[in-house]
Amino acid sequence: MNLIDRYIHEVGRHLPRNNRADIQAELRSSVVDSLEDRFGSEASESDVGELLTELGRPRGVAASYYPQGQYLIGPGLYPLFRMVIWIVIAAVLGAQMLAWGVGIFIAGETFPVLDLLLSLLNSIPVSLGWVVLTFMILQRFDVKPDLEDESWDPQTLPQINEDDDLKRGELIVGLVFSILILVLVMFFPQWIGFVTTPGGKFYPNPVIIQYLGWIKISLLAGIGLDIILLWQRRWSIVSRISKIAVNLLSIAILVLLVQGHNAWLAARGSSGFFDAIEAIPGVVGGEWEVVGMHSFRLAFVVALVVTVIETLAALYRLVRANIKRGYSLQVISPDKA
Amino acid sequence: MTEKELTEQYQKLTQELRRGILVLAALSQLKEEKYGYALINSLAEKGLDIEQGTLYPLLRRLETQGLLQSEWNVEGSRPRRYYVISPEGSTILQDLVGEWRNLTEVMEKLLAGKTSEGEQNESN
Repeated sequence: MNLIDRYIHEVGRHLPRNNRADIQAELRSSVVDSLEDRFGSEASESDVGELLTELGRPRGVAASYYPQGQYLIGPGLYPLFRMVIWIVIAAVLGAQMLAWGVGIFIAGETFPVLDLLLSLLNSIPVSLGWVVLTFMILQRFDVKPDLEDESWDPQTLPQINEDDDLKRGELIVGLVFSILILVLVMFFPQWIGFVTTPGGKFYPNPVIIQYLGWIKISLLAGIGLDIILLWQRRWSIVSRISKIAVNLLSIAILVLLVQGHNAWLAARGSSGFFDAIEAIPGVVGGEWEVVGMHSFRLAFVVALVVTVIETLAALYRLVRANIKRGYSLQVISPDKA
Repeated sequence: MTEKELTEQYQKLTQELRRGILVLAALSQLKEEKYGYALINSLAEKGLDIEQGTLYPLLRRLETQGLLQSEWNVEGSRPRRYYVISPEGSTILQDLVGEWRNLTEVMEKLLAGKTSEGEQNESN
Protein backbone atom coordinates (compact mmCIF):
# COMPACT_ATOMS: atom_id res chain seq x y z
CA MET A 1 0.00 0.00 0.00
CA ASN A 2 2.88 2.30 0.79
CA LEU A 3 4.02 1.99 -2.82
CA ILE A 4 0.57 3.06 -4.05
CA ASP A 5 0.67 6.11 -1.78
CA ARG A 6 4.04 7.07 -3.18
CA TYR A 7 2.84 6.50 -6.73
CA ILE A 8 -0.31 8.58 -6.31
CA HIS A 9 1.67 11.33 -4.62
CA GLU A 10 4.18 11.41 -7.45
CA VAL A 11 1.44 11.55 -10.10
CA GLY A 12 -0.14 14.44 -8.17
CA ARG A 13 3.03 16.48 -8.41
CA HIS A 14 2.60 16.68 -12.18
CA LEU A 15 -1.17 17.20 -12.27
CA PRO A 16 -2.95 20.51 -12.84
CA ARG A 17 -3.52 22.01 -9.41
CA ASN A 18 -7.23 22.76 -9.67
CA ASN A 19 -8.47 19.16 -9.72
CA ARG A 20 -5.39 17.40 -8.44
CA ALA A 21 -6.96 15.94 -5.28
CA ASP A 22 -9.95 14.61 -7.17
CA ILE A 23 -7.90 12.90 -9.86
CA GLN A 24 -5.64 11.43 -7.19
CA ALA A 25 -8.62 10.00 -5.26
CA GLU A 26 -10.09 8.46 -8.40
CA LEU A 27 -6.76 7.03 -9.47
CA ARG A 28 -6.24 5.53 -6.03
CA SER A 29 -9.63 3.83 -5.95
CA SER A 30 -9.09 2.52 -9.50
CA VAL A 31 -5.63 1.19 -8.71
CA VAL A 32 -6.90 -0.58 -5.62
CA ASP A 33 -9.87 -1.94 -7.62
CA SER A 34 -7.65 -3.45 -10.24
CA LEU A 35 -5.20 -4.73 -7.62
CA GLU A 36 -7.96 -6.60 -5.78
CA ASP A 37 -9.42 -7.83 -9.00
CA ARG A 38 -6.16 -9.31 -10.10
CA PHE A 39 -4.46 -10.44 -6.91
CA GLY A 40 -7.25 -10.60 -4.29
CA SER A 41 -7.25 -8.60 -1.07
CA GLU A 42 -3.86 -9.99 0.06
CA ALA A 43 -1.70 -8.47 -2.65
CA SER A 44 2.05 -8.50 -2.02
CA GLU A 45 4.44 -5.61 -2.52
CA SER A 46 5.70 -7.20 -5.74
CA ASP A 47 2.12 -7.53 -7.07
CA VAL A 48 1.66 -3.82 -6.48
CA GLY A 49 4.96 -3.21 -8.24
CA GLU A 50 3.84 -5.22 -11.24
CA LEU A 51 0.57 -3.34 -11.51
CA LEU A 52 2.22 0.06 -11.21
CA THR A 53 4.83 -0.86 -13.82
CA GLU A 54 1.95 -1.62 -16.15
CA LEU A 55 0.28 1.72 -15.41
CA GLY A 56 3.44 3.53 -16.38
CA ARG A 57 5.58 6.39 -15.17
CA PRO A 58 3.80 8.91 -12.94
CA ARG A 59 4.76 11.79 -15.18
CA GLY A 60 3.25 10.05 -18.20
CA VAL A 61 0.04 9.25 -16.34
CA ALA A 62 -0.26 12.86 -15.21
CA ALA A 63 0.44 14.13 -18.72
CA SER A 64 -2.53 12.21 -20.11
CA TYR A 65 -4.77 14.47 -18.03
CA TYR A 66 -3.74 17.44 -20.18
CA PRO A 67 -5.77 16.71 -23.32
CA GLN A 68 -4.54 19.73 -25.29
CA GLY A 69 -0.93 18.93 -24.42
CA GLN A 70 1.56 20.88 -22.40
CA TYR A 71 3.42 23.59 -24.23
CA LEU A 72 5.85 26.26 -23.29
CA ILE A 73 4.98 27.94 -26.59
CA GLY A 74 2.19 26.15 -28.42
CA PRO A 75 1.83 25.52 -32.15
CA GLY A 76 -0.54 28.48 -32.46
CA LEU A 77 2.09 30.95 -31.29
CA TYR A 78 5.16 29.23 -32.64
CA PRO A 79 5.31 30.81 -36.15
CA LEU A 80 5.12 34.29 -34.64
CA PHE A 81 7.70 33.30 -32.04
CA ARG A 82 10.13 32.06 -34.67
CA MET A 83 9.79 35.28 -36.64
CA VAL A 84 10.32 37.50 -33.59
CA ILE A 85 13.36 35.43 -32.55
CA TRP A 86 15.11 36.12 -35.85
CA ILE A 87 14.33 39.80 -35.75
CA VAL A 88 15.67 40.03 -32.20
CA ILE A 89 18.89 38.17 -33.06
CA ALA A 90 19.45 40.47 -36.03
CA ALA A 91 18.72 43.57 -33.97
CA VAL A 92 21.01 42.53 -31.10
CA LEU A 93 23.83 41.71 -33.49
CA GLY A 94 23.34 45.04 -35.22
CA ALA A 95 23.18 46.98 -31.96
CA GLN A 96 26.41 45.34 -30.78
CA MET A 97 28.16 46.17 -34.02
CA LEU A 98 26.98 49.76 -33.74
CA ALA A 99 28.17 50.01 -30.14
CA TRP A 100 31.58 48.61 -31.11
CA GLY A 101 31.77 50.89 -34.08
CA VAL A 102 31.04 53.92 -31.92
CA GLY A 103 33.54 52.71 -29.34
CA ILE A 104 36.33 52.12 -31.82
CA PHE A 105 35.91 54.98 -34.26
CA ILE A 106 34.55 57.71 -32.06
CA ALA A 107 35.69 57.07 -28.53
CA GLY A 108 38.97 55.66 -29.88
CA GLU A 109 38.79 52.57 -27.69
CA THR A 110 40.20 49.25 -28.76
CA PHE A 111 38.28 46.03 -28.21
CA PRO A 112 39.91 42.62 -28.13
CA VAL A 113 38.00 40.18 -30.35
CA LEU A 114 37.48 37.80 -27.44
CA ASP A 115 35.60 40.47 -25.51
CA LEU A 116 33.32 41.05 -28.48
CA LEU A 117 32.43 37.38 -28.70
CA LEU A 118 31.92 37.11 -24.94
CA SER A 119 29.54 40.07 -24.94
CA LEU A 120 27.56 38.42 -27.77
CA LEU A 121 27.41 35.21 -25.75
CA ASN A 122 25.83 37.28 -23.05
CA SER A 123 23.52 39.63 -24.94
CA ILE A 124 21.93 37.15 -27.37
CA PRO A 125 20.76 34.62 -24.76
CA VAL A 126 19.49 37.43 -22.53
CA SER A 127 17.40 38.95 -25.34
CA LEU A 128 16.10 35.54 -26.43
CA GLY A 129 15.24 34.85 -22.80
CA TRP A 130 13.02 37.90 -22.73
CA VAL A 131 11.28 36.85 -25.92
CA VAL A 132 10.68 33.34 -24.55
CA LEU A 133 9.39 34.79 -21.31
CA THR A 134 6.98 37.08 -23.15
CA PHE A 135 5.69 34.21 -25.27
CA MET A 136 5.34 31.95 -22.22
CA ILE A 137 3.06 34.55 -20.69
CA LEU A 138 1.07 34.84 -23.94
CA GLN A 139 0.74 31.05 -24.00
CA ARG A 140 -0.31 30.97 -20.36
CA PHE A 141 -3.16 33.34 -21.10
CA ASP A 142 -3.97 31.50 -24.30
CA VAL A 143 -3.45 34.50 -26.57
CA LYS A 144 -3.99 33.67 -30.24
CA PRO A 145 -2.16 35.64 -32.91
CA ASP A 146 -4.87 35.02 -35.49
CA LEU A 147 -8.50 35.80 -34.97
CA GLU A 148 -10.30 32.57 -35.65
CA ASP A 149 -13.40 33.47 -37.57
CA GLU A 150 -16.20 31.03 -36.94
CA SER A 151 -17.43 31.15 -40.49
CA TRP A 152 -14.64 31.41 -42.99
CA ASP A 153 -15.46 32.67 -46.43
CA PRO A 154 -13.10 31.77 -49.28
CA GLN A 155 -14.26 34.98 -50.99
CA THR A 156 -12.29 36.88 -48.36
CA LEU A 157 -9.05 35.30 -49.59
CA PRO A 158 -6.75 38.09 -50.74
CA GLN A 159 -6.50 38.63 -54.49
CA ILE A 160 -3.28 37.43 -56.06
CA ASN A 161 -1.81 40.86 -56.46
CA GLU A 162 1.91 41.33 -56.42
CA ASP A 163 1.46 44.92 -55.31
CA ASP A 164 0.07 43.62 -52.04
CA ASP A 165 2.86 41.15 -51.37
CA LEU A 166 5.39 42.52 -48.99
CA LYS A 167 9.06 42.48 -49.68
CA ARG A 168 10.04 40.79 -46.45
CA GLY A 169 13.78 41.21 -46.84
CA GLU A 170 13.41 44.96 -47.26
CA LEU A 171 11.07 45.13 -44.32
CA ILE A 172 13.42 43.20 -42.03
CA VAL A 173 16.39 45.36 -42.99
CA GLY A 174 14.31 48.47 -42.34
CA LEU A 175 13.10 47.05 -39.05
CA VAL A 176 16.59 46.22 -37.83
CA PHE A 177 17.76 49.68 -38.84
CA SER A 178 14.87 51.35 -36.95
CA ILE A 179 15.60 49.23 -33.88
CA LEU A 180 19.26 50.27 -34.02
CA ILE A 181 18.33 53.93 -34.13
CA LEU A 182 15.82 53.37 -31.35
CA VAL A 183 18.50 51.74 -29.17
CA LEU A 184 20.76 54.68 -29.93
CA VAL A 185 18.21 57.37 -28.99
CA MET A 186 16.94 55.40 -26.00
CA PHE A 187 20.22 54.53 -24.35
CA PHE A 188 22.95 56.72 -25.82
CA PRO A 189 21.36 60.03 -26.87
CA GLN A 190 24.51 61.83 -25.70
CA TRP A 191 26.45 59.88 -28.36
CA ILE A 192 24.52 61.37 -31.25
CA GLY A 193 26.69 64.14 -32.50
CA PHE A 194 29.95 64.61 -34.31
CA VAL A 195 33.67 64.54 -33.74
CA THR A 196 36.23 66.89 -35.17
CA THR A 197 38.98 64.33 -35.66
CA PRO A 198 39.04 60.60 -34.79
CA GLY A 199 39.41 60.43 -31.02
CA GLY A 200 39.01 64.21 -30.76
CA LYS A 201 36.38 66.32 -28.98
CA PHE A 202 32.81 65.03 -29.28
CA TYR A 203 29.82 67.32 -29.61
CA PRO A 204 26.34 65.98 -28.83
CA ASN A 205 23.63 67.39 -31.10
CA PRO A 206 21.43 69.73 -28.98
CA VAL A 207 18.49 69.79 -31.42
CA ILE A 208 18.15 66.01 -31.46
CA ILE A 209 18.17 65.93 -27.67
CA GLN A 210 15.45 68.60 -27.64
CA TYR A 211 13.08 66.44 -29.78
CA LEU A 212 14.13 63.07 -28.33
CA GLY A 213 10.64 62.16 -27.08
CA TRP A 214 9.02 62.70 -30.48
CA ILE A 215 11.79 60.79 -32.26
CA LYS A 216 11.21 57.81 -29.95
CA ILE A 217 7.43 57.86 -30.51
CA SER A 218 7.85 58.00 -34.26
CA LEU A 219 10.40 55.15 -34.27
CA LEU A 220 8.24 52.99 -32.01
CA ALA A 221 5.19 53.54 -34.22
CA GLY A 222 7.21 52.56 -37.30
CA ILE A 223 8.67 49.46 -35.63
CA GLY A 224 5.26 48.34 -34.37
CA LEU A 225 3.73 48.72 -37.82
CA ASP A 226 6.62 46.85 -39.47
CA ILE A 227 6.22 43.92 -37.08
CA ILE A 228 2.49 43.74 -37.81
CA LEU A 229 3.21 43.93 -41.56
CA LEU A 230 5.78 41.12 -41.28
CA TRP A 231 3.18 39.03 -39.54
CA GLN A 232 0.40 39.77 -42.04
CA ARG A 233 2.82 39.26 -44.94
CA ARG A 234 0.85 41.52 -47.24
CA TRP A 235 -0.49 45.00 -47.55
CA SER A 236 -4.08 45.85 -46.74
CA ILE A 237 -5.94 49.14 -46.97
CA VAL A 238 -5.65 49.61 -43.22
CA SER A 239 -1.92 48.92 -43.16
CA ARG A 240 -1.30 51.19 -46.15
CA ILE A 241 -3.16 54.00 -44.44
CA SER A 242 -1.29 53.31 -41.19
CA LYS A 243 1.99 53.40 -43.07
CA ILE A 244 1.08 56.79 -44.53
CA ALA A 245 0.08 58.06 -41.09
CA VAL A 246 3.36 56.90 -39.56
CA ASN A 247 5.25 58.54 -42.43
CA LEU A 248 3.37 61.82 -41.93
CA LEU A 249 4.43 61.75 -38.28
CA SER A 250 8.06 61.22 -39.36
CA ILE A 251 7.75 64.10 -41.82
CA ALA A 252 6.42 66.41 -39.10
CA ILE A 253 9.30 65.49 -36.80
CA LEU A 254 11.88 65.84 -39.55
CA VAL A 255 10.51 69.31 -40.35
CA LEU A 256 10.84 70.23 -36.66
CA LEU A 257 14.41 68.90 -36.65
CA VAL A 258 15.39 70.83 -39.77
CA GLN A 259 13.83 74.01 -38.37
CA GLY A 260 15.63 73.43 -35.09
CA HIS A 261 18.94 73.18 -36.95
CA ASN A 262 18.08 76.28 -38.95
CA ALA A 263 17.42 78.22 -35.75
CA TRP A 264 20.62 76.94 -34.14
CA LEU A 265 22.68 77.82 -37.19
CA ALA A 266 21.00 81.21 -37.62
CA ALA A 267 21.87 82.01 -34.02
CA ARG A 268 25.51 81.34 -34.96
CA GLY A 269 25.16 83.55 -38.00
CA SER A 270 25.70 80.74 -40.49
CA SER A 271 22.60 79.86 -42.46
CA GLY A 272 23.93 78.44 -45.76
CA PHE A 273 25.83 75.21 -46.05
CA PHE A 274 28.33 76.74 -48.46
CA ASP A 275 29.18 79.44 -45.92
CA ALA A 276 30.37 76.61 -43.71
CA ILE A 277 32.32 74.86 -46.45
CA GLU A 278 34.05 78.09 -47.28
CA ALA A 279 34.83 78.58 -43.64
CA ILE A 280 36.48 75.17 -43.25
CA PRO A 281 40.04 76.10 -44.11
CA GLY A 282 39.96 78.81 -41.50
CA VAL A 283 38.20 76.99 -38.75
CA VAL A 284 39.83 76.38 -35.44
CA GLY A 285 38.04 74.66 -32.57
CA GLY A 286 34.45 75.85 -32.18
CA GLU A 287 33.69 76.40 -35.86
CA TRP A 288 33.70 72.63 -36.42
CA GLU A 289 30.51 72.49 -34.44
CA VAL A 290 28.85 74.64 -37.08
CA VAL A 291 30.06 72.31 -39.85
CA GLY A 292 28.76 69.32 -37.88
CA MET A 293 25.32 70.90 -37.44
CA HIS A 294 25.22 71.74 -41.13
CA SER A 295 25.90 68.09 -41.94
CA PHE A 296 23.15 66.95 -39.60
CA ARG A 297 20.74 69.39 -41.19
CA LEU A 298 21.66 68.14 -44.62
CA ALA A 299 21.10 64.52 -43.50
CA PHE A 300 17.69 65.41 -42.11
CA VAL A 301 16.73 67.28 -45.26
CA VAL A 302 17.66 64.18 -47.30
CA ALA A 303 15.66 61.97 -44.94
CA LEU A 304 12.74 64.40 -45.23
CA VAL A 305 12.81 64.31 -49.04
CA VAL A 306 13.07 60.49 -49.05
CA THR A 307 10.18 60.16 -46.60
CA VAL A 308 8.00 62.56 -48.60
CA ILE A 309 8.69 60.57 -51.80
CA GLU A 310 8.00 57.31 -49.97
CA THR A 311 4.73 58.70 -48.63
CA LEU A 312 3.63 59.91 -52.05
CA ALA A 313 4.46 56.46 -53.46
CA ALA A 314 2.46 54.83 -50.65
CA LEU A 315 -0.49 57.13 -51.44
CA TYR A 316 -0.23 56.23 -55.11
CA ARG A 317 -0.19 52.49 -54.34
CA LEU A 318 -3.14 52.88 -51.98
CA VAL A 319 -5.17 54.53 -54.72
CA ARG A 320 -4.01 52.07 -57.39
CA ALA A 321 -4.75 49.03 -55.21
CA ASN A 322 -8.26 50.32 -54.60
CA ILE A 323 -8.88 51.06 -58.27
CA LYS A 324 -7.75 47.52 -59.15
CA ARG A 325 -10.01 46.06 -56.51
CA GLY A 326 -12.94 48.12 -57.74
CA TYR A 327 -12.14 47.09 -61.31
CA SER A 328 -12.00 43.38 -60.53
CA LEU A 329 -15.33 43.68 -58.75
CA GLN A 330 -16.84 45.35 -61.81
CA VAL A 331 -15.54 42.53 -63.98
CA ILE A 332 -17.17 39.96 -61.76
CA SER A 333 -20.52 41.64 -61.19
CA PRO A 334 -22.02 41.44 -64.72
CA ASP A 335 -21.66 37.64 -64.58
CA LYS A 336 -23.51 37.56 -61.32
CA ALA A 337 -26.28 39.79 -62.65
CA MET B 1 11.90 0.13 -43.81
CA THR B 2 13.13 -2.57 -41.46
CA GLU B 3 10.77 -5.11 -39.96
CA LYS B 4 11.01 -3.38 -36.60
CA GLU B 5 10.11 0.01 -38.05
CA LEU B 6 7.23 -1.59 -39.90
CA THR B 7 5.90 -3.08 -36.67
CA GLU B 8 6.21 0.26 -34.91
CA GLN B 9 4.42 1.99 -37.74
CA TYR B 10 1.67 -0.61 -37.61
CA GLN B 11 1.29 -0.20 -33.86
CA LYS B 12 1.08 3.58 -34.16
CA LEU B 13 -1.59 3.37 -36.86
CA THR B 14 -3.58 0.77 -34.93
CA GLN B 15 -3.48 3.01 -31.90
CA GLU B 16 -4.77 5.96 -33.93
CA LEU B 17 -7.53 3.84 -35.41
CA ARG B 18 -8.63 2.62 -31.99
CA ARG B 19 -8.42 6.04 -30.37
CA GLY B 20 -11.22 7.26 -32.56
CA ILE B 21 -13.68 4.63 -31.40
CA LEU B 22 -12.97 4.85 -27.67
CA VAL B 23 -15.43 7.70 -27.10
CA LEU B 24 -18.17 5.77 -28.85
CA ALA B 25 -17.30 2.61 -26.89
CA ALA B 26 -17.27 4.38 -23.52
CA LEU B 27 -20.48 6.33 -24.13
CA SER B 28 -22.29 3.20 -25.28
CA GLN B 29 -21.52 1.39 -22.04
CA LEU B 30 -22.45 4.22 -19.68
CA LYS B 31 -26.23 4.17 -19.97
CA GLU B 32 -26.04 2.76 -16.47
CA GLU B 33 -23.60 4.34 -14.09
CA LYS B 34 -20.23 2.65 -13.70
CA TYR B 35 -16.92 3.47 -12.09
CA GLY B 36 -13.76 3.50 -14.15
CA TYR B 37 -12.39 0.07 -13.43
CA ALA B 38 -15.80 -1.58 -13.86
CA LEU B 39 -16.07 0.06 -17.28
CA ILE B 40 -12.66 -1.31 -18.26
CA ASN B 41 -13.82 -4.79 -17.23
CA SER B 42 -17.11 -4.58 -19.06
CA LEU B 43 -15.35 -3.38 -22.23
CA ALA B 44 -12.73 -6.13 -21.88
CA GLU B 45 -15.44 -8.78 -21.46
CA LYS B 46 -16.88 -7.70 -24.80
CA GLY B 47 -13.47 -7.86 -26.42
CA LEU B 48 -12.24 -4.26 -26.30
CA ASP B 49 -9.06 -3.89 -24.24
CA ILE B 50 -8.35 -0.37 -23.13
CA GLU B 51 -5.59 0.80 -20.86
CA GLN B 52 -6.45 2.43 -17.56
CA GLY B 53 -4.15 5.31 -18.34
CA THR B 54 -6.18 6.00 -21.50
CA LEU B 55 -9.68 5.55 -20.13
CA TYR B 56 -9.59 7.60 -16.92
CA PRO B 57 -8.43 10.83 -18.57
CA LEU B 58 -10.93 10.20 -21.39
CA LEU B 59 -13.82 9.93 -18.91
CA ARG B 60 -12.80 13.24 -17.34
CA ARG B 61 -12.57 14.91 -20.71
CA LEU B 62 -16.03 13.67 -21.68
CA GLU B 63 -17.35 15.01 -18.40
CA THR B 64 -15.78 18.43 -19.01
CA GLN B 65 -17.44 18.39 -22.43
CA GLY B 66 -20.78 17.72 -20.75
CA LEU B 67 -21.33 14.28 -22.32
CA LEU B 68 -20.95 12.45 -19.02
CA GLN B 69 -21.98 13.20 -15.46
CA SER B 70 -20.20 11.85 -12.44
CA GLU B 71 -20.38 11.68 -8.68
CA TRP B 72 -18.53 10.06 -5.85
CA ASN B 73 -20.26 7.11 -4.25
CA VAL B 74 -19.00 6.19 -0.78
CA GLU B 75 -21.33 3.25 -0.13
CA GLY B 76 -19.10 0.40 -1.36
CA SER B 77 -15.87 -0.90 0.15
CA ARG B 78 -14.13 2.33 -0.91
CA PRO B 79 -15.20 5.61 -2.45
CA ARG B 80 -15.57 5.38 -6.22
CA ARG B 81 -16.34 7.90 -8.90
CA TYR B 82 -19.35 6.78 -10.94
CA TYR B 83 -19.95 8.01 -14.46
CA VAL B 84 -23.21 8.02 -16.42
CA ILE B 85 -24.14 9.45 -19.78
CA SER B 86 -25.81 12.90 -19.70
CA PRO B 87 -28.87 13.83 -21.79
CA GLU B 88 -26.60 15.70 -24.20
CA GLY B 89 -24.33 12.66 -24.29
CA SER B 90 -27.28 10.43 -25.22
CA THR B 91 -28.21 12.67 -28.13
CA ILE B 92 -24.66 12.68 -29.40
CA LEU B 93 -24.30 8.94 -28.89
CA GLN B 94 -27.33 8.36 -31.11
CA ASP B 95 -25.76 10.43 -33.88
CA LEU B 96 -22.39 8.78 -33.40
CA VAL B 97 -23.93 5.33 -33.69
CA GLY B 98 -25.59 6.34 -36.97
CA GLU B 99 -22.26 7.67 -38.22
CA TRP B 100 -20.49 4.51 -37.12
CA ARG B 101 -22.96 2.25 -39.00
CA ASN B 102 -22.51 4.41 -42.06
CA LEU B 103 -18.74 4.25 -41.81
CA THR B 104 -18.54 0.50 -41.33
CA GLU B 105 -20.85 -0.02 -44.28
CA VAL B 106 -18.74 2.19 -46.52
CA MET B 107 -15.51 0.69 -45.24
CA GLU B 108 -16.76 -2.82 -45.85
CA LYS B 109 -17.52 -1.87 -49.44
CA LEU B 110 -14.18 -0.16 -49.88
CA LEU B 111 -12.22 -3.00 -48.37
CA ALA B 112 -14.09 -5.61 -50.40
CA GLY B 113 -13.34 -3.64 -53.59
CA LYS B 114 -9.70 -3.29 -52.64
CA THR B 115 -9.28 -7.00 -52.02
CA SER B 116 -10.85 -8.10 -55.30
CA GLU B 117 -8.75 -5.55 -57.18
CA GLY B 118 -5.69 -6.86 -55.39
CA GLU B 119 -6.53 -10.36 -56.48
CA GLN B 120 -7.01 -9.17 -60.04
CA ASN B 121 -3.59 -7.58 -60.01
CA GLU B 122 -2.06 -10.75 -58.72
CA SER B 123 -3.73 -12.89 -61.41
CA ASN B 124 -2.45 -10.56 -64.15
